[in-house]
Order: sequence, then C-alpha cells, then structure tokens
Amino acid sequence: MTRYLVRRLLLAIPTLFGIVVLVFLLLHLAPGSPASAAGSPEAGRRVSAAAREEMRKLYGLDRPLPERFVKWIGRVARFDLGESFVDRRPVSERIREALPATLALNGLALFFTLAIAVPVGVAAGGRPEGPFDRASAVVLFALYSMPIFWAALLLQTLLSVKLGWLPLYGVSSDTAPAGLAGLADRLAHLALPVTCLTYASLAFFARLVRAGVVEARSQDFVTAALARGLSRRQALWRHAFRNALLPLVTLLGLLLPGLLSGSVIVERIFAWPGLGRLYFDSILSRDYPVVLGLSLLGGVTTLAATLAADIAAAIVDPRLREPA
Amino acid sequence: MIRRLPGSGRIALVVVAVLWAVAAVSPLFARRASEIRLDERLQAPSLAHPFGTDDLGRDVAARVVVATPISLTIGLVAAAVSLLVGFGIGAAAGYFGGTTDLLLSRLIEVVLCFPVLFLLLALAAFLPPSPATVVLAIGLTTWPSDARYARAEILKAKNLDYARAARAAGAGPARILLRHLLPNALPPLLVSAAFGVSWAILAEASLSFLGVGLPAPASSWGGILSAAPAYIEEAWWLALFPGLALFATVSAYNLLAESLRHATTEAGRT
Repeated sequence: MTRYLVRRLLLAIPTLFGIVVLVFLLLHLAPGSPASAAGSPEAGRRVSAAAREEMRKLYGLDRPLPERFVKWIGRVARFDLGESFVDRRPVSERIREALPATLALNGLALFFTLAIAVPVGVAAGGRPEGPFDRASAVVLFALYSMPIFWAALLLQTLLSVKLGWLPLYGVSSDTAPAGLAGLADRLAHLALPVTCLTYASLAFFARLVRAGVVEARSQDFVTAALARGLSRRQALWRHAFRNALLPLVTLLGLLLPGLLSGSVIVERIFAWPGLGRLYFDSILSRDYPVVLGLSLLGGVTTLAATLAADIAAAIVDPRLREPA
Repeated sequence: MIRRLPGSGRIALVVVAVLWAVAAVSPLFARRASEIRLDERLQAPSLAHPFGTDDLGRDVAARVVVATPISLTIGLVAAAVSLLVGFGIGAAAGYFGGTTDLLLSRLIEVVLCFPVLFLLLALAAFLPPSPATVVLAIGLTTWPSDARYARAEILKAKNLDYARAARAAGAGPARILLRHLLPNALPPLLVSAAFGVSWAILAEASLSFLGVGLPAPASSWGGILSAAPAYIEEAWWLALFPGLALFATVSAYNLLAESLRHATTEAGRT
C-alpha cells in the first residue's frame, strides 16, 4: 500500500508542475505580454500602456524568460496570486468571495447527478436492451447532445417567462422575506441553474454506471449470488453495482472540470455571482491575475480530486495496488 | 462500413448529408440574412418569416441557414486539428513507451485537469479574433481525449504479428506507425473524429454565445443565440430555432459516432 501511495504521489508531482507551467504559458499569450508585443500592435487586442506597465512590474516581464519563470514559481509556492487589476484587492480574496456561490451550485448539481445517475444506470444496466434501457438511452442521448445554454434559455422561456413559476435569474429576490420564506426564495433561484448543470453531467455519468453494471452482471459472482437464492434486486445492487462502483469512484474526479466549464455558461446566463462568472468577467476585463489564479485553482483542484479518488479506490480494492 | 451501420447510424448519416446540402445552397440566402429592417424587428414566426425576425429585423430562418456552413466547417477543421495533435502525441506515447510515454501521459493529464472552457476562453480571448483562432483554440484544448484513444489503440496493436514483421523487415518507427499501425487504428479513430466534430461544433457555439467566438459580421448558430438572453421575455424564437439547428447537428454527429463505435467493435469481435 505504501509503495502504491508513494508511486501515485510521485506521479502527481510532474503533473502539478505541468499545471503551473501551462498557466505560465497562458500568461505569455496575454496581450501586453512580450509574446504578443512582438507582433504588430493590432495583432493582439489593444491594452492600455498603464496595464502593460502593471503586468511588467507584477510578472517581471522585462526580465529574461528563465528569471520570469523562477519568479512565477516562487509566487505560486507562496500562494501569492497578486492583486486584481480591476479593484486592487488580492486575487485570493476575490476568489474566496465567489467560492460559496459556486460550491452551492456545483455541490447540489453533483448530488443530483449521482442521486439520479446511479439508480438509472443500475436499472438500465440490469436488463440491457430491455424497455427501460432503451427508453433511458434515448433520453440520456438527447440530454448529452443538448447545448447547456440552449437548455437554459428554453427553461427560462418556459418556466420563468411563460409560466412564471421560477425567477429568471439572480441569487434571491430584491425584497426577499426573512426566515423560511427567504429560504424558499433562494431555493427557487437555485432550481434552474442546478437543473442545467445536473442534466449535462447526469447524461455522461449514467452511461458510465450502466456500462459498469452491464460488465459486472455477466460475471460469475453475480450468477453465484443468484444461484444462492438472492433476489435479482439484491444481486444487482449488492454484487454487480458494488463491483462497478470502484472504477466510477476514480472517474468522479473528472466530473469536476466539466462542472466548472458548465459553471461559466450557467453563471453567466443566470447572473450567479460565482467563480465561473468571475472567470468570464476577468477574461473580458483582461484581469490577468484573476484569470491565472482561477486557472491554477481549477487545475490543481481537479488534480487533487483525481488523486484522492485513486487513493480511496486503492484503499478499498487491494487489486488496484498491484503493479500492472 | 456503411452497410454495417445500424438504422440509427444511417439516419444520422442522412441528417449530416442534409446539413451539408443546406450549407451548399446557403449563399442563396446571404442577402436575405443580412437585410436589416428595423420596422420589422422582433416579429414572431409567420409565413413570411418562419423563424421570426431578430432585434434588427433580420430573418432568423435565413440567418440560421447562412450560419450552417460556418458551424459545420469550423467543427470539422477544429476536430481535424485536435485529431492530428492527439494522434501524434498519443501514438508516440503508445509506440515508444517508457520515459516518452511517462512524459507524454503527464502532458495529457495536465491538460485534462483544466476545465476545457477555462482554457478555451483564455485562448480565444487572448489571441487575435479570427476563425483561425477559434479553430486553434478548440483543437489545442480537446486533443487529450483523442490522444488517450490513439495511445490505447497503438499500445494494443504494436506487438501484433504484422507490426513485428514490419519491424523485423527493417521498417523504422515512422513507417510502422503511419503505414501499418495507423490504417489498423483507423476505424476507432473515425469514432473519435465523429465525437470530436460534435464536440468542436458545441465548443464553437459556446464561445460565440459568450461573445468571444467568430468576429462580426460572420455569425454561427452560437452567435445568433447570443442575442437571445437580452430578449428572453419577448422573443422566444431567437432562442428556439438556432438552438434547434445546433442540437440537431450535434445529435447527428454523436449518433453517427455511437453507431460507428457499435459497428467497429462488433466487426472487431469476429
């Protein structure tokens, strides 16, 4: 176990390094940086002289490349992401402000994704080519192919504009009542964005669950469980699904980048003050420190999540610890 | 290959063919699509304007038709870029193994760690706005899935008899990869390519919807949709029809990919 753990952690170090390097390269694409200044001024989008000066100071852009890189690594190591160009406050503070809104949105979306995808996937995989499998395959396929912003616009049109059941966008009403009614108001505002984020990852994950269950149910231990007199339901959930669960756990980490990508679009449409919207606004206002900080955060969080999932899987399943 | 496709795959093929046919005749509608008539702005669908009119009084149906070749071409070219980069890196990792594989696999992992839209937005917004930028941004962010696919295929095939025979006959890595392993990996790569096209069309639409895609006056389906949020309370047709075109296209390519996968794995078993 220790050997597996050490190996897995060692492999994560170059990946972490790669993430830091990639974000560093992103910085050099930014207009106003040496890379884009080398071309004609019209090549990059126009940047004010003041912003250019600011970037030069912050990232040492007048220094040679190796020196800039060392400086960048040093800042990252000290968790110093710099100050936002827009309001002069530390990037970490701006991220911390936007984090809860995104966590609420994505946490709920992740919860509903699993709560729906697992039963649907198990039921569909339990009887491949059965009526439920065929019906759910069509629905999941349609959801999978549906652009998230289109779904958001249609839901807004139908449920907010035509029927008036749910608020169009925002976090809460201006005249939000206190107490229980206030909570209901907030939940009503959450409903549409969470639905949009959920359906997209739901379609992806339910198909994985189904595939895992289909593979597991044809194996001997499921047959043996049925032969011992277990009900079909028990054999499916206690034996087939539990064996299909492990590879799914390791894939959970990969849901994260997808959810964050979805957040950019969903938070923009629903005026949700989270990380996705912060990222998009920062891109538009050329607030490079925030863009780089959020990119770094997104990459590192995913890496940590996949690492945690792999280690958790290895703790539960000794087979995974064996070197291949 | 086509004969092996299940019914749904043939339908998808027909839809894709129809879309390209629409793209071919779309120049006929160019004048109508760009005709601004402020006296007819935001009109609901009618016989004269089957998809209604937009905020400048332009005919939405004509705009959707004119956008067809833009979305389809960008999707195709971006997917090709992604496949080229992905196959190159994935095949090298799978073929050479060892340290090369370790390093290239880390590279794939690094890019996969980022939310795709984060990278896409940064590239699209930081590079000069042009169709080439959009294509490059999509290709450079979506290649890792192609690379993983190619790596697995090459890993499977490189020690099969025909590859060893080629090696024994004195063929170099480039020749073995391109002349022997690539043709063998073609059917699964075709599946990856079809998924890639639907992905790229979706990515381009997302960028254009967010306003960092193709520069005006070119407008793709995503670009037409970007006007919809502002008029959500009065003009539902601005959201419905361009999105429907996008949805139909993405579904068709996904369905094609799924049935190709079905056909190739079944062929592989026999």
